[in-house]
Amino acid sequence: MTQTNAPKMAAKDVHVFYGDNHAVKGISLELRRNEVMALIGPSGCGKSTFLRCLNRMNDTVASCRVEGNITLDNEDIYAPKIDVVQLRARVGMVFQKPNPFPKSIYDNVAYGPRIHGLATSRTDLDEIVATALEKAGLWNEVKDRLESPGTALSGGQQQRLCIARAIAVNPEVILMDEPCSALDPIATAKVEALIDELKEGYAIAIVTHSMQQAARVSQKTAFFHMGDLVELGDTTQIFTAPKKERTRDYITGRFG
Amino acid sequence: MSDNADFRPTDWGSDKMQARLRNRYRKERTFRVAGFAAVIAAGLFLVSLLFSIVRDGSMGFLQTSVDLDVTFSAEILGDPRAMTPEAFDEGVRRVNMQRLLLSALTDYFPEATSRRDQRALLKLVSTGARDQLRQMVLDKPDIVGTKQTVRLLAADDIDQLRKGKIDADAHENDRKVKDQELGWYKKLVADDRISLNFHTEFLTSGDSREPELAGIWGATVGSALTLMVTLLIAFPVGVLTAIYLEEFAPKNRITDFIEVNINNLAAVPSIVFGLLGLALFLGVMNLPRSAPLVGGLTLALMTLPTIIIASRASIKAVPPSIRDAARGLGASPMQVVFHHVVPLAMPGILTGTIIGMAQALGETAPLLMIGMVAFIVDIPGGVTDAATALPVQIYLWADSPERAFVEKTSAAIMVLLAFLIAMNGVAIWLRQKFERHW
Amino acid sequence: MTNSAIFFVLVLLALVAFATARQRSLRVVDGDTAKLHSLPRHYGYFAATCVLVPGLLVLALWLMFGKSIIEGLVVNGLPDAIQAEYADRITLLLNRIRLVVENASTQETNVDILAAAERFHSLYLKGLWAAFSLSASFGLVGLYTAINRTKADFRARNVFERVLNALLILSSVIAIATTLGIVGSLLFESLRFFAEVPLGDFLFGLKWSPQTALRADQVGASGSFGAVPLFAGTFMISLLAMLVAGPIGLMSAIYLTQYASTRMRRIAKPALEILAGVPTVVYGFFAALTIAPLFRDTGEFLGLDIASESALAAGFVMGIMIIPFVSSLSDDAITAVPRSLRDGSLALGATPSETITKVLVPAALPGIVGAFLLAISRAVGETMIVVMAAGMQPNLTANPFEAVTTVTVQIVALLTGDQEFDSAKTLSAFALGLVLFVITMGLNIFALRIVRKYREAYD
Repeated sequence: MTQTNAPKMAAKDVHVFYGDNHAVKGISLELRRNEVMALIGPSGCGKSTFLRCLNRMNDTVASCRVEGNITLDNEDIYAPKIDVVQLRARVGMVFQKPNPFPKSIYDNVAYGPRIHGLATSRTDLDEIVATALEKAGLWNEVKDRLESPGTALSGGQQQRLCIARAIAVNPEVILMDEPCSALDPIATAKVEALIDELKEGYAIAIVTHSMQQAARVSQKTAFFHMGDLVELGDTTQIFTAPKKERTRDYITGRFG
Repeated sequence: MSDNADFRPTDWGSDKMQARLRNRYRKERTFRVAGFAAVIAAGLFLVSLLFSIVRDGSMGFLQTSVDLDVTFSAEILGDPRAMTPEAFDEGVRRVNMQRLLLSALTDYFPEATSRRDQRALLKLVSTGARDQLRQMVLDKPDIVGTKQTVRLLAADDIDQLRKGKIDADAHENDRKVKDQELGWYKKLVADDRISLNFHTEFLTSGDSREPELAGIWGATVGSALTLMVTLLIAFPVGVLTAIYLEEFAPKNRITDFIEVNINNLAAVPSIVFGLLGLALFLGVMNLPRSAPLVGGLTLALMTLPTIIIASRASIKAVPPSIRDAARGLGASPMQVVFHHVVPLAMPGILTGTIIGMAQALGETAPLLMIGMVAFIVDIPGGVTDAATALPVQIYLWADSPERAFVEKTSAAIMVLLAFLIAMNGVAIWLRQKFERHW
Repeated sequence: MTNSAIFFVLVLLALVAFATARQRSLRVVDGDTAKLHSLPRHYGYFAATCVLVPGLLVLALWLMFGKSIIEGLVVNGLPDAIQAEYADRITLLLNRIRLVVENASTQETNVDILAAAERFHSLYLKGLWAAFSLSASFGLVGLYTAINRTKADFRARNVFERVLNALLILSSVIAIATTLGIVGSLLFESLRFFAEVPLGDFLFGLKWSPQTALRADQVGASGSFGAVPLFAGTFMISLLAMLVAGPIGLMSAIYLTQYASTRMRRIAKPALEILAGVPTVVYGFFAALTIAPLFRDTGEFLGLDIASESALAAGFVMGIMIIPFVSSLSDDAITAVPRSLRDGSLALGATPSETITKVLVPAALPGIVGAFLLAISRAVGETMIVVMAAGMQPNLTANPFEAVTTVTVQIVALLTGDQEFDSAKTLSAFALGLVLFVITMGLNIFALRIVRKYREAYD
């Protein structure tokens, strides 16, 4: 339990532009290990865009431009010497819609370790896959059918498979972009429980639409509105005693 | 799981990992270069195809001429002032114009006296030169008795020599033009009597065995007649089928079958349609062989799937709200379709039709099957006359042994491609102009 | 009197019917159209239909069967001696007669033939007049009925729409009729061929030499119809074509969808479309005139013996022709893979090429396989390139430097030029056509099924 308080990732004054559209305006925040940070706010407020800057997924959008400074372990991730392949291995991502590859459950989880060469032998790989699936709470459900296609699982299972897939690469940060928005309540509950468990060991950022979810899983909450970071604080504080009026209006459901 | 000691970050900085990463990036680069090379290769193929056609073809539009001083002697032609115009014309039609030519040539090359030399002399000009002279006399009988400098078509060998396709420096045995002719040719060049001009006859005359006389007008007319028949059949049938399948057909096994059937028909090799045309239109129905009518019918069956598929897509794209609105005003289903849906879908239908017609225009194999490969000099006057089509003409010329036909073939291809580009251009224009986003 | 004259008379009659019925519909309600069930022009349409449908039906029947019936009559009317002489070559006899009828051939001396031609001519004229009077009177009857039925409460529009509906159905049936026609004509002629040449000999025979001698005692009198060399040649050229088109088409589709800038796509896609729009005869010319000599000279330079009509040149150019086909279908297949899969892979730290080869291509594989199958079917059925560049010798060889011949080349060779319709030589072309049809159809159905299943998986 060392250095829990040192920030894993830190963003300072981050701006994102899509062509002429100024989508994110000067965001600064920090992600820490053993902590879940919830990013909330109305649709189109820039929270997903910001999240995608943290592992440079915005690179795949041609018109997107990022300004400001984002560091991982005090290294600028937009510095030229930083390798985006490595960065993404260290900063994993789970998407809104479960997107398992059309491969077997085993191959889905083994995909990352294979491309990065994390396993030295078949037994090694088996172990990585099993551990990842265990961590994702999916092992007991799928251990007898690792060779069946990942797409054949239920929605909730698929999302946990995607989490397992991300974990298998041994990331340090996990970014989740509305991971439960496509799931039913029971599956959502399972994934939320999983996030809560996972925070031990990882720094997690989760974008969510649901304030209840943010309250349930996160320790810190950041409220975004129209590209601005309106308020950032402990989750309990944000939900019980928001300092800003906009935050209060949003939380009480006056807009959004 | 909650034990943090478990967690060991991967050592990305290790030599092994770095080497692996370098390797992965090398593969990435190789892959990317391979993809780029594939695109470039496809582009190069296109460029070299077009280049080789244009290089040969541009010469095909030009033709070498020889300027000769021809004496239109009244002895040979008869005196127009001494007889009735009819008798004169009749006489001129019978006269062997070779005599005029020969005297003009021997005047110019007095050294050629032997019969053999004179025969060789005549080979300098095209066989079409006689008709050229005859036509001059018929057009203007006053010419008789005068001496005129006439620009006559050169024979194909001289033409090739002028265009540099025959190497004058090669050994005599290795080239088609012998030293004697070469000498005459050089004299003509020295006197500035050889010229290279735009060859209008290429665009306006029918086929010929002589490259310098062959033209594509006959084939063009044949293609036009064939396409007309194709359009008249395929357009209404295709559009009506599309309307039925899209708007009226019940969704059942039969319509499913029709749909699968149309998709498959679109991929049946064109030559099979030719076999169908041969067996059905020529065999069973006894329609005339080599006729644009049969070619058009065959190509219509072939283009039908293209038109149906494009029309259906276009009809489907008309939003249901339009139908609902028209129906709400009390229009019958037929009126809804023919007054509202079809006019809105028309640009798409026309685009598909033009593309289908372009396909039909470039098609050769089915026309070979139904006998449109005959050597036809006359310009066809109707859909039942024997005719050939542009692509078939290209095929026929490509098969000719004469070197001069290579450039004629390429030139014909340029004309065909021009037609195709124009048609596709119209299709693209239509699509862009009338494209609606509902 | 000609066929087109009959047609024009019918059209004229239909116009008259339209105008009269329209006028009459207005008259029966004294110009108050509100009292009519349908619009005046619907009565007109109805009347025009009543004239055209029966009239055109008669004309069509006459066009389809008239000549054949008359020819039958004429042949039967000929003296037995001539009939016996041409017993199994009726077409030849008919051609002889036709020649006299059409060109007033002066070379014909046989009195019987001349008489037959005369008879044909007079019968044909009679038939023409009969067709005319029959279709015209049918049209008139239609006109009369239509005018009679033009009353205020007559539902002209509904009736007319029913006719229109029938026309729509009829059009749709033509597509099926075409397939049936293809299958029917190919099967019919093939069966006649297989009556002479056993199916086994055709499918498994190793020697193809369809030249039948004129007299039974000549060498090679029977010809041999072993199609294996043709199948092998077709296979080899298609394989060569796919070796060119497969990698280039697939890789350019990948590059254009995954790497290329918008600008490059804007240039490359139309270029590929042009490549796809070039007529095959142009490719054939290019193969025969540019590529084949180039390959032969290169081969000479390298010490290889490449024939001037080599399978290699034909296959290579056919490959170029198929590139846009493979490329655009693969493009569709790859772009159909949801973006989320690509993002998922990239987010795990995969490089673009790893994402493509390990996720996108496997996910798009059914579509890509479908594209390749359709491309193969295209290559198998392609005619002009091989006719112009592959040669005629039925070589059974695995050497791509030699000349080979294909199914399509032989079909063209057998059916162009002088031919008698009934000889085994001509009929064999239909048997080859049948094989071609079955193979391409099978490939297509299979490919379309794969592609459709795959689309459903992502829709």
